[in-house]
Amino acid sequence: MRLTGKVVVITGAARGIGRASAVACAAEGADLVLLDVCADLAGVPYPLGSASQLEHTASLCRDRGASVLTAKADVRDTTSVRDAVGLAGDRYGRIDVVVNNAGIAAPSGKRVHEITEDEWSLMLDVDLSGAWRVIREVGKTMSDQRSGSIVNIASTAGLVGYRHFAGYVAAKHGLIGLTKAAALDYAPMKVRVNAVCPGNVRDTPEAEGRMLREIARALDVPADEHVAAFTQSQPMNRLVEPDDVAGAVVFLASDDSAQVTGSVLTVDGGFTAH
Amino acid sequence: MFPGARCHALRVRLAGAVHPEALTAPAQSRVWVDDVPARSTEPVAERRRAAEMSRAVTGLRCTVLRYRDGLADLVLVADRGFLDAAGLRAVAASLTGADPVEPAGTEVAAAAEAATAAAAGTEVGAVAAAGVPDWAAAPDPVDAGAVELALLLDEAGDAESWRTALAITLVRYDAVDSPGWAIIGTDQGAVRVTPGAAAEPTVEPTGEPAVAGLLVSDVDFGTDEYRPCLAPPLPLTFSVWRTGDTVRLRCDHQAGRISPAQVEQFTRHLAHVHRQVRENPDVAPDKVELLDAAERERVAALGRPDRALSTTPTRIDAAFRAVAARTPDLVALTDGEVRLTYRELDERSDAVAGGLRALGVSDGDRVGVCLERTAELVVTLLGVLKAGAAYVPADPAYPTERLAYTAQDADLRLVVTRLPEFPGTSSTVPVTPDEVIAAGAEPFTSTMTPDDAAYVIYTSGSTGRPKGVVVPHRNVIALMDATRAEYRLGSSDVWTLFHSSAFDFSVWEIWGCLLTGGRLVVVPYFVSREPEKFRDLLVAERVTVLSQTPSAFAQLVDVPHDDLAVRLVVLGGEPLDARVLLPWFDVRPESGCRVVNMFGITETTVHVTHQTVTRRHALAGSRSVGPALPGWHLYVVDPDGRLLPPGVPGEIWVGGAGVASGYLERDDLTAQRFTEDPVAPGRVYHSGDLGRLRPDGALEHLGRIDSQVKVRGFRIELDEIRAVLLEDPDVRTAAVVVRRDDPHDAATARIDAYVVLADGAAGETSSSVRKRAADILPDYMVPSTVTALDALPLTTNGKLDATKLPPPVTTTAKPAATPTGNDDLAAKLSEVWGAVLGVPVGLDDDFFELGGNSLFAVRIGARMREGGLPPLQLRELYRNPTIRSVVTALRNGDN
Repeated sequence: MRLTGKVVVITGAARGIGRASAVACAAEGADLVLLDVCADLAGVPYPLGSASQLEHTASLCRDRGASVLTAKADVRDTTSVRDAVGLAGDRYGRIDVVVNNAGIAAPSGKRVHEITEDEWSLMLDVDLSGAWRVIREVGKTMSDQRSGSIVNIASTAGLVGYRHFAGYVAAKHGLIGLTKAAALDYAPMKVRVNAVCPGNVRDTPEAEGRMLREIARALDVPADEHVAAFTQSQPMNRLVEPDDVAGAVVFLASDDSAQVTGSVLTVDGGFTAH
Repeated sequence: MFPGARCHALRVRLAGAVHPEALTAPAQSRVWVDDVPARSTEPVAERRRAAEMSRAVTGLRCTVLRYRDGLADLVLVADRGFLDAAGLRAVAASLTGADPVEPAGTEVAAAAEAATAAAAGTEVGAVAAAGVPDWAAAPDPVDAGAVELALLLDEAGDAESWRTALAITLVRYDAVDSPGWAIIGTDQGAVRVTPGAAAEPTVEPTGEPAVAGLLVSDVDFGTDEYRPCLAPPLPLTFSVWRTGDTVRLRCDHQAGRISPAQVEQFTRHLAHVHRQVRENPDVAPDKVELLDAAERERVAALGRPDRALSTTPTRIDAAFRAVAARTPDLVALTDGEVRLTYRELDERSDAVAGGLRALGVSDGDRVGVCLERTAELVVTLLGVLKAGAAYVPADPAYPTERLAYTAQDADLRLVVTRLPEFPGTSSTVPVTPDEVIAAGAEPFTSTMTPDDAAYVIYTSGSTGRPKGVVVPHRNVIALMDATRAEYRLGSSDVWTLFHSSAFDFSVWEIWGCLLTGGRLVVVPYFVSREPEKFRDLLVAERVTVLSQTPSAFAQLVDVPHDDLAVRLVVLGGEPLDARVLLPWFDVRPESGCRVVNMFGITETTVHVTHQTVTRRHALAGSRSVGPALPGWHLYVVDPDGRLLPPGVPGEIWVGGAGVASGYLERDDLTAQRFTEDPVAPGRVYHSGDLGRLRPDGALEHLGRIDSQVKVRGFRIELDEIRAVLLEDPDVRTAAVVVRRDDPHDAATARIDAYVVLADGAAGETSSSVRKRAADILPDYMVPSTVTALDALPLTTNGKLDATKLPPPVTTTAKPAATPTGNDDLAAKLSEVWGAVLGVPVGLDDDFFELGGNSLFAVRIGARMREGGLPPLQLRELYRNPTIRSVVTALRNGDN
């Protein structure tokens, strides 16, 4: 097992990539601190992770032998993030890995000049500043430990543009920038920072993700039509599974990637290879 | 230090229903409750317990693990400085209601206060870790781990008895040059323990680094699980505690090149020693037995090869006659244009034997042979054996005094030589080979036995005058029987005679070839000194079996050698740094040519062990010389001759088929060095070489015991320094020596290195070689000087000749940089440094390049104090090794 003895903090852990990553880390021997906002946010046009979903993720992890601590945390709120990280420190005495996975796909579906001030701010606050707030809270602990791995879940939207997703694309491009800058800041302290760029991830019943559905809705196209179009655009001719992304997360979390920092690892079936 | 090193943990099985709400943890810490979705007996539950028991904390953490079968564990983890073992148990008792009266809260609060106070100051019990000793070293890095032994209750002892036992075991494991004390790390700091020194205080605090730590608790943890440390604070951390009716002895070892098997062995021996200390608390360290009878037997067996030797004792000349009878027409000997078949060689040596008898040689006589390496030499040696005599080789290149000494010591009455004047005694008669044959006589067949001497070869050793080693025929026959099948030696092989007949490597070359039916190619002296010419000879003669010293072989590897037909390289005569073989393997892979390193001693008939060397060994810089040859066996012993455990360095003793008869006319020395085999029938030879027997039976050769040098109190491994120099891609070969400018002042001991730089190393200087070495070696092992040479001087035997190394190139002070009078501090410093170092010192002269070392640094510090100068800390000097930088540092108050 590649993560034995490591304590992994995951935001947005109630479902989707967060859940898949948590379960994969648990299977590799990690102990987990699972965080989620566990509430709907004003301005986000779809339901976010629930407390029940978060507990279910925890339960799946415990089945794999992990010790799990769950807490409600809103990455937009400094105090909320600080409390959650503090709790992790009290319980486990260390934090080895942070997976910045919390993020929203919408409000989207507009051209740039149609986006409102609030929509723009909300998107950047969650998808970019949220990761920064978590790094701000764990950066000191990891630096003192002289070890640590931060994995930012970005997106292919951090590498290329998508029509009608300017806020999301800007936030994810920003997250990759944050990844590279933080990697340089922490390299002397042996703390690594990397980004994972998933392509179009399938909404699986097990992970309860709904990213693809929400993107389709934002674009106002039927979900199955959207899936068919995306599948065709991926050179490997299938959508990315949540577990595919979790595999990349485990690699970057583990000592197998001891000299990997500031890197951007795409898990997109070759989409951005064009 | 990893926080886990300061923590201990206790696990208590909770009975009945658990209501964590009812548990009130002390010192404001909360009780964490984790539900484990498994029964308490399942592996997942086991894993969870283990994880919780190894989670460090600053203070105290209380966790309850609840299992599906209704059982639960309470796991307490605490900083040992915050809560000791008794306190931990008290908290558990209070939490579980087992001892509700116990006012754990108060105790804990007091402990917490103490810990906070301690944390404000320096870390309590912080002990620097020493390097892992040879006996614990593993070839490859391993993860951290532990061994745990269950001992009987009456072995419990106390902190003092365990400390004594640990010190004794460490002292005994440091068999060769133990100072008689050991440093042991405890939670209260490091102590120097001198066991068995009754009159003086035996335990004193020290700041020295320790390899071993000791944690002893007298608390009985009953059925509860206790972990004295979550991570070992020192490379080897021993702990002792009670669990009901057993005593647990555990050793946690750190990750790194530490052998778990060696740790297990040491821990077992520690328990064994502790029993003896319990019986007699004042037992002297050297009276303690490390091994019991069964283990002694096992260790003795480890030094024996797996295969037994099958040999029929006979005489060399008889064995040769048998070969000659089988293959009379094959060529036996080539020397330039001269080619002798086995029949011709047989006949010519018969003539020599007859001539020698006619000249008065009789059975058991010694005949001197002082001839250049020629066919004639081989004919003569064989003739001497056929005459029933033993040959005493002397190299014509030897100084006159050495030849005279040999003739006198061996009481030679006849010397076969072409030297115009042989410097023997008045009774020594020099004759030429022609005169021998001309003396004519009937063919002669000796009636001497295989137990009679075949040759007497003189070895100089490092001390005393050279002594003649008397080797009987049967030993040489055994050597060939031990190697013939393994190395497929046969009539299709072509060997070289490269070495002087006075060096016993030639015994292997000559008789190894002629007794297996091969063809022996004589390598003239001038060819042996020129790698290109030697290479040409190897190619022209299609040589298949090449015997070389590593020094000579390195020179051959340096010249293009693609066209060789060599299938077997036997390296011997001096320690091998296997890395020099890498370029050889690149051209001739192991599948096409086998390279064998043989450790050997003249007193045990050329070779003792054999190790096939591959790229794996070369890359690892392995010091293994392999297991003993069939028929030979090894012991590694302490100075009292007791078998040492595997892995522990000690003196190598060699027994079996190769042990020589003794030293000629040196009964005292023979009795001293050749003694009864402590285990098997027969005798053993005390080699004076340092080695350790690996658990797989291979021997690691670590050099001569009497050449183990100490510089400024540190044991220096010259081979290790040399190995680091060789890692430099620009360094082709290297030699390292220790010298003292003033033989009476240990502080003047200096390590001088000599290197031959690779051809392509343009712009490379010896100082950049030194800089690179300084990045790798500990300060006390960095050579003071590195001098580049075109070639290293070799002896006539092809070994490094340290006496011919030139004086080192040293840095001298540059007067121009001497400080001027208006800089008072610098001027005073310059005066002090100059007085201590014995050279004028300029502002920018590097302290270390002027021969500075830690002893000199201490002297400088003392003189600066005396002179009323500001105090200078050692590390500041290391950081700022010039007067200018020291002045700046002192002025800036950095110090």
